[in-house]
Amino acid sequence: MEIIEKIKNNKLIDNPTEIQKICLHKLQSSPLPNPKSELWRLSNKSKFSNVLDYSVNQKGPKFDMPYPKNSQSTIRLTIGEECHIKLIKENYSIQQLSEDELDKYINKQISCFDQNENWSDLLNLSLSCAKNILGLKINGSKIPPIEIFSHASSNSLNAKTLVIFLEKNCNIELLQVNLGKDKSSLSQSTFLSLKENSSVNHGVVSYGEEGSNLLNSINVIQQKNSEYNLGSLHFKFNYARFEIRIKQSVGNAKTNIKGMQITKKDEQISTYTKIDFNGPNGFLDQINKSLADDKSHAIFAGSIIVPKIAQKTDASQLSRNLLLSNLAQIDTKPQLEIIADDVKCKHGATISQLNEEELFYMRTRGITLAEASKLQLSSYFKEIISFIPVSKDRWDLLDKLLNEN
Amino acid sequence: MGVSFVKVYKDNCNRLFLDNMVKENLVKDVVKEPYKYGFITDIETEKIAKGLNEDIIRLISQKKEEPKYLLDFRLKAFKKWQKMEEPDWAGLGYKKIDYQDIIYYSAPKQKEKISSLDEVDPKLLETFDKLGIPLTEQKKLTNVAVDAVFDSVSIATTFREELAGHGVIFCSISEAVKTHSDLIEKYLGTVVPASDNYFAALNSAVFSDGSFVYIPKGVKCPMDLSSYFRINSGDSGQFERTLIIAEESSSVSYLEGCTAPMFDTNTLHAAVVELIALDDASIKYSTVQNWYAGDEEGVGGIFNFVTKRGKCLGKRSKISWSQVETGSAITWKYPSCLLLGEESVGEFYSVALTNNLQQADTGTKMIHIGPKTKSTIVSKGISAGNSINSYRGLVKMGTKATGSRNYSQCDSMLIGDQASANTFPYIKSQQPNSDIEHEASTCRISEDQLFYLQSRGIEFEEAISMMVSGFCRDVFNQLPMEFAAEADKLLSLKLEGSVG
Repeated sequence: MEIIEKIKNNKLIDNPTEIQKICLHKLQSSPLPNPKSELWRLSNKSKFSNVLDYSVNQKGPKFDMPYPKNSQSTIRLTIGEECHIKLIKENYSIQQLSEDELDKYINKQISCFDQNENWSDLLNLSLSCAKNILGLKINGSKIPPIEIFSHASSNSLNAKTLVIFLEKNCNIELLQVNLGKDKSSLSQSTFLSLKENSSVNHGVVSYGEEGSNLLNSINVIQQKNSEYNLGSLHFKFNYARFEIRIKQSVGNAKTNIKGMQITKKDEQISTYTKIDFNGPNGFLDQINKSLADDKSHAIFAGSIIVPKIAQKTDASQLSRNLLLSNLAQIDTKPQLEIIADDVKCKHGATISQLNEEELFYMRTRGITLAEASKLQLSSYFKEIISFIPVSKDRWDLLDKLLNEN
Repeated sequence: MGVSFVKVYKDNCNRLFLDNMVKENLVKDVVKEPYKYGFITDIETEKIAKGLNEDIIRLISQKKEEPKYLLDFRLKAFKKWQKMEEPDWAGLGYKKIDYQDIIYYSAPKQKEKISSLDEVDPKLLETFDKLGIPLTEQKKLTNVAVDAVFDSVSIATTFREELAGHGVIFCSISEAVKTHSDLIEKYLGTVVPASDNYFAALNSAVFSDGSFVYIPKGVKCPMDLSSYFRINSGDSGQFERTLIIAEESSSVSYLEGCTAPMFDTNTLHAAVVELIALDDASIKYSTVQNWYAGDEEGVGGIFNFVTKRGKCLGKRSKISWSQVETGSAITWKYPSCLLLGEESVGEFYSVALTNNLQQADTGTKMIHIGPKTKSTIVSKGISAGNSINSYRGLVKMGTKATGSRNYSQCDSMLIGDQASANTFPYIKSQQPNSDIEHEASTCRISEDQLFYLQSRGIEFEEAISMMVSGFCRDVFNQLPMEFAAEADKLLSLKLEGSVG
């Protein structure tokens, strides 16, 4: 773990920024997360140390877009590419955050970080240089869809950070694409702040090549009457960790999450979510699907926290899992922690295989086994994929997934 | 567990009749009833010095005239315990226990070995009468055989002769060590090894007594077996050990009840229960736990840290746990099933009620190892006052558990806005050809239902009591008749004053 050694010896970065200094300082006292804590217990140790085996690369080389841009109105941005963004149109404006604004916001976030829970963010903010932090302030209406790319380069660890402020009454469609490269690690941290009455349809699609690793975290703060919809898809990573932390800071907000992770070979992909209801009348509808094949391992741990103040919360969480091989493994742990008494909270979890009766039915109709299971899988995937914004019209993720399989 | 119900059981051909009777009588009785088991019996007890070390363990073993293998078992466990750390992962808040400030052996003084019930100290018998467990003739009517464990030593076991006629062995574990040493040596510690956890290791080192049950091949135990545990002194811990072995094609239903007097100190109860079911055998283990829970300020009460586990060794064997947990300052208990035999079945039905400052962290572990194994979990948690009630469970499908199934249901009810209800289910599967389902929900007392009941002239507290009882119905239906009545009464008693 080359990086950890360098963090310990304070030799990681020349001329660190203020934020990097604070994060590095926090990491130096205990550079690695506690492997016994619930959040890290199931992490494959050798795979995790492989994430940290690469040296830090602050430059991002050019890369091929995964699909063509064929809608003129879509705004495309790549984190790490030097550009100055200032779009001021009749209805809306998208502007880069000033350094002061960024520092102030990130500092505030760091102050309530927990060493274990936010370890991925601490590492990300320690490594990502000013060039790799993209901060945007979005205001107005009728904003075209936004696509933001973040990618790794071979044989290195890349850290990218995205900060978005969404002003009052503003609606956006945002697609984040994280691309892994062969033998590389990508650390992506995203911070979203949703002001009153704003809404985001957020899509996160992450896929890599063989031997690519990902540490992906999303931190969302929702003000009242805001709506946050997240559709996510993670596949083809040697090791991937997806952390979602959402805080409804004064309640009265809506959150919908539909996520999926697909593991093959000996991959390990995990999703950790924490939803904090900090006020009354919060709403959550979450579904997480996993599919584990070959010798792979899929993990889901979701926690819902409803303190006394969060009366009339309506939260549901469902974990649905398909286990397709004798050697694969699935761990799932939905959690409810409730103090308020006037709430509706439920969760459910299932683990099973493809339905044999359905398969049999299709085969009696002359459909081959391979086609029949493809059909079953496509219906399993579709619920999630149709929830991912922007991509659904032009980028056929379903085809990509089924052909990979 | 009142004798007054006996008649009702005797003609229990009409269960509805029983239910109505019980409800009418009980709910009225319970309002404003204090913790009625809080008396102390003034009898001479024999205690050894406080503290824990090798000499104390040797002394306990010597007092009980144990064979060498048992002393070795204790000493080995003690060595392991010394190396272990007290767990804190459950997130329970309690003052650290000083293990050197506990008396590890306390027995009612008996001058000679008793041969019949008449020789037992009449004060002791009186105690059991107060508890509602008559060891005498009356109990015969209820068809329940009782082994009562008072502080650390088992006092008397009733109906032994009648059971012996069927080949059933039901005695205290210290007696079994003397008379059936081979069985103890073969099975003790095979389900819960001494190194299993901190409290199991402690129990293995210092266990004083408990019950032993052996059901021979092909025997359906003719009556329900029951043991009653009571802690009577404030400074002694209770470490009993229960071992039940059901041979091929046998079956048994075992009931366990617990009470303790009120002390303002915390008393430790660290028991171990081991069940073994061979081919086609079935064991039903029911508990009504009503240890003293401390007062409203959270002073005193029992720390109930118990390890209970059953091993379904044989094909088509079945172990069923049902429990009603209403007492203890802190309960930390996970009755589990290891499903090894093909087509074996594990069940867990639980009601946990917490009030005031009680903390209950309870659930189960269903470990599916053999093929076509099945398990069912139904857990109902009710939290009132400032209490914390958590369900923590594990369902694991091993690589060989093909065609296995699990169904879990966890429902929580919150009463008042200070109580907390947590659910931590943990599901792990390594077998694609198996199905696991889990669902959990949280709710409060429905105002519509309450309004409906009150508009029909049912009083507020009674209405609440009826609704809670309805919420727990799935579990109560699994309890033996006698316990179901007591459980219902306990719940309404416990909730008194916490609503409204």
